[in-house]
Amino acid sequence: MLLVLLPCTPSQVRATPCSGAEQQLASIRKELAAGNSRAAEQMLQEMEHTHPECPEAILAHARIADAKGATAEAEDTFVRYANLAPTVGNAYSYHARFLLEHGQYQRADDLSAQALEVDPNDAVALAVRGEILDMKGQPQQGMELLEKACQLDPRNARAQFQLATIYDRAKRLADAVSHFEKVVEMDPSNAQAWDYLALDLEPLGEVERADLAYQKGLAANQPGPHFDSFLDYNYGRFLMKRNDLPASKRHLDRAVELAPDIRAPWYERAKLNLRVKNYAQAREDAERAANIRDPRGIIIDLQLYVLLEQIYTRLGDTASAGKYARLSRQTPVPPRKD
Amino acid sequence: MTGVLRPTTLVGMTSAFACTLGAALLVSSKPNEQSRIRFENRQAQSGVTFILNNGTTDDKPIIDSTLGGVALLDYDNDGYLDLFFTNGASIPSLSKSNPTFSNRLYHNNRDGTFTDVTEHAGVAGEGYSMGAAAADYDNDGWVDLYLTGVNRNILYHNNKDGTFTDVTQKAGVAGISDGRKLWSVSAAWIDYDNDGLLDLLVTNYLDWSPENSRVCGPQGRRLSCPPSLYKGEPNILYHNNGDGTFTDVSEATGIARHVGKGMGVAIADYDGDGWTDIFVANDNERNFLFKNRRGQGFDEVGVESFVAYTDDGVPVSSMGADFRDWSNSGRPGLFVTALGGETFPLFRNEDHGIFTMATYESGIGFASFKMSGWGAGIYDLDNDGYKDLFSANSHVSENADVNPQQQYRQPNGVFQNLRNATFRDVSVEAGPAMRLRAAHRGAAFGDLNNDGKVDVVVSAIGSPAELLYNTSTGGNHWIAIETVGTKSNRDGIGTRIKLTAESGLVQYNEVTTAGSYASSSDKRVHFGLGRDSIIKEIELRWPSGTLQLLRNVKTDQVLKITER
Repeated sequence: MLLVLLPCTPSQVRATPCSGAEQQLASIRKELAAGNSRAAEQMLQEMEHTHPECPEAILAHARIADAKGATAEAEDTFVRYANLAPTVGNAYSYHARFLLEHGQYQRADDLSAQALEVDPNDAVALAVRGEILDMKGQPQQGMELLEKACQLDPRNARAQFQLATIYDRAKRLADAVSHFEKVVEMDPSNAQAWDYLALDLEPLGEVERADLAYQKGLAANQPGPHFDSFLDYNYGRFLMKRNDLPASKRHLDRAVELAPDIRAPWYERAKLNLRVKNYAQAREDAERAANIRDPRGIIIDLQLYVLLEQIYTRLGDTASAGKYARLSRQTPVPPRKD
Repeated sequence: MTGVLRPTTLVGMTSAFACTLGAALLVSSKPNEQSRIRFENRQAQSGVTFILNNGTTDDKPIIDSTLGGVALLDYDNDGYLDLFFTNGASIPSLSKSNPTFSNRLYHNNRDGTFTDVTEHAGVAGEGYSMGAAAADYDNDGWVDLYLTGVNRNILYHNNKDGTFTDVTQKAGVAGISDGRKLWSVSAAWIDYDNDGLLDLLVTNYLDWSPENSRVCGPQGRRLSCPPSLYKGEPNILYHNNGDGTFTDVSEATGIARHVGKGMGVAIADYDGDGWTDIFVANDNERNFLFKNRRGQGFDEVGVESFVAYTDDGVPVSSMGADFRDWSNSGRPGLFVTALGGETFPLFRNEDHGIFTMATYESGIGFASFKMSGWGAGIYDLDNDGYKDLFSANSHVSENADVNPQQQYRQPNGVFQNLRNATFRDVSVEAGPAMRLRAAHRGAAFGDLNNDGKVDVVVSAIGSPAELLYNTSTGGNHWIAIETVGTKSNRDGIGTRIKLTAESGLVQYNEVTTAGSYASSSDKRVHFGLGRDSIIKEIELRWPSGTLQLLRNVKTDQVLKITER
């Protein structure tokens, strides 16, 4: 028994090719997590001088290649690392995340499962697998894995974000807020996280905090992976509820510019124009909205009919108003989601 | 349909993944110069021990969440409002199998206490009761009482001696349509044809029965099923024949042509044509506004008037409703309670037959988003001349708390009118009574102690009813007008009152006992008058068409006005 245990005690750990490089590897991981691939690459070069045989350097190379957009090179390098370290969980987990990000869902699905088989406590594997399960329509299982991932590695902003979106969809608003707050704390440039945060604060009655989150999101909303083309739309709606109509108009104007093929911004701006009695513009916006399909049902046809009826009534066009009144009466109401 | 556009990344990826896998108020912040609205719950010292018993079972059948009507009526004509509470029954027998299911009548002892007179009065009731509507339907000067319920509606005639007689069968108002008893929730006394006799509108909800009852939610944590699982029912309008009987005119008047899921009902002459109209709050269906066709029938114009849906073009789970002029415009507006996450629709009457939803514009949007409301009232609670809003709150489902975002027991809500068409949520600062969490349901409004302030009585499932005495400060003046019709119905229901105070402030209201949720309120019309101690003019337009004026009227009194 003692003999079996001895190799596992820290003082008896055998030297490996990476022994002594733990600190450097941690720093490289940290830089990569922060998106600083150049700094990571420099550190990696230094480490390879002292630890040329350390297999984890290959993983770092793969991640750096990915960060630099060298997709084929990254792919090859991930595979090479997995061949060298087939019993290490992260040989598959980072590769799975890479595949997920590049739209190779089936392979990502397989690899993430394999990664967890090798190491059920690999935080990266848990996060990737959780995200994939959620995408496969298994949000409960996905949530459980992501919760574990976030416990093991609270600094994984992506896992925090994914977990928060599951809470958001499950209407666990306070939980969603808590995790979106972690995301924006780690990455204040994540405009999408700010948007979600604001959207979830609002129904909790945290109106001022929601307003602040929207503003921070707008300040951070730059082209890039976290660019949020709906942020202006959501803030415009929010400002209309707060009766700040000029500001609402500014954001809804921008919203229709950013998402001209989506019904909701046109619809919302039509509502605003109706409210400020700009009926001609309201009609134009509402008719534009009516000509855009909304397969996601963000704005259903019934809503448009009701709005168009109101606009045409105010314009004195009784025939059109009557048409939309009839349409709204004929349209079944959506069932309540209890 | 939520209108919210979540950031896109996930959605796009989800779609791609599925394809690949083939699977898967502006609230005024100015210093509050207004009096403070405050309530004090005096149930404990009142002798009122009523607890609403819904008789629920483990399966949480949908009827268990929708009961709880309250009526304030002066059944013995002593000048003080008495209390009546409807109550549930055993499920599935739907019988009042033990005294805890009894409806209750409490006599007001005029000293803040009440005496339970249920047995003597003979109003313990039968069946699974829901709502109450009080009025003098036979013009004999004594208020009568109509009860709605799942399997039994009852009309009690007041015998003028402290007792009532069940005259339902003789009167023909049992709530039966096509040979089937419908599940009735609310009722409103209304003289729709201005013939001097009160008619009766009954809202009906779902086609539920013990046999077709559905079960929702996991075992041990059952939730109230959504109304979408049941078909809706038509409402019923009974015409008063003047001989103690009524005729079902639902088909003839067009009322029955519109099938909804009726809960609350409120009445007012919204278009000022002298004929009282009807608003029916439908649960997750479009609301109905029945425009009175000069006593000949009704046109349902909810869609055309823009009260059928919210301003976002969707229906909400409308439950309670009140129909009064909250903007001092001379045109009655609507206040509707609904479920959490929906907000409480507040409609401003724009004239020309159309309304605008002003929920967020008026400042009640964000606050009411978190509330689930039942009883609803538009009353001047601080007597400043501007009507405030009250909601009796609770989630529908007893097991709602299994979702940490939901709370079954909720405190009631009160929104103070800031005199500029906006309101402020003052619930928390209105006293400890307004912070009491309970499964509130019906709410009736009236001045219990004749001190000139509108009090509220609220029922609550599983806990004592609350007697919320209005202890608002400010010392404002008031008047309560009791109308006595001669050509019009004796209660004067439907009389439109315009009051012009010495300062020039003009207010409007109408005589009705209907409104709120399944409840019946003080028929006296209350006006707050702020610092005005003299009323320049009171104008009454009776349902008969009579116009009556009173000038230079003193405030701080209950003024009885008889139709001339």
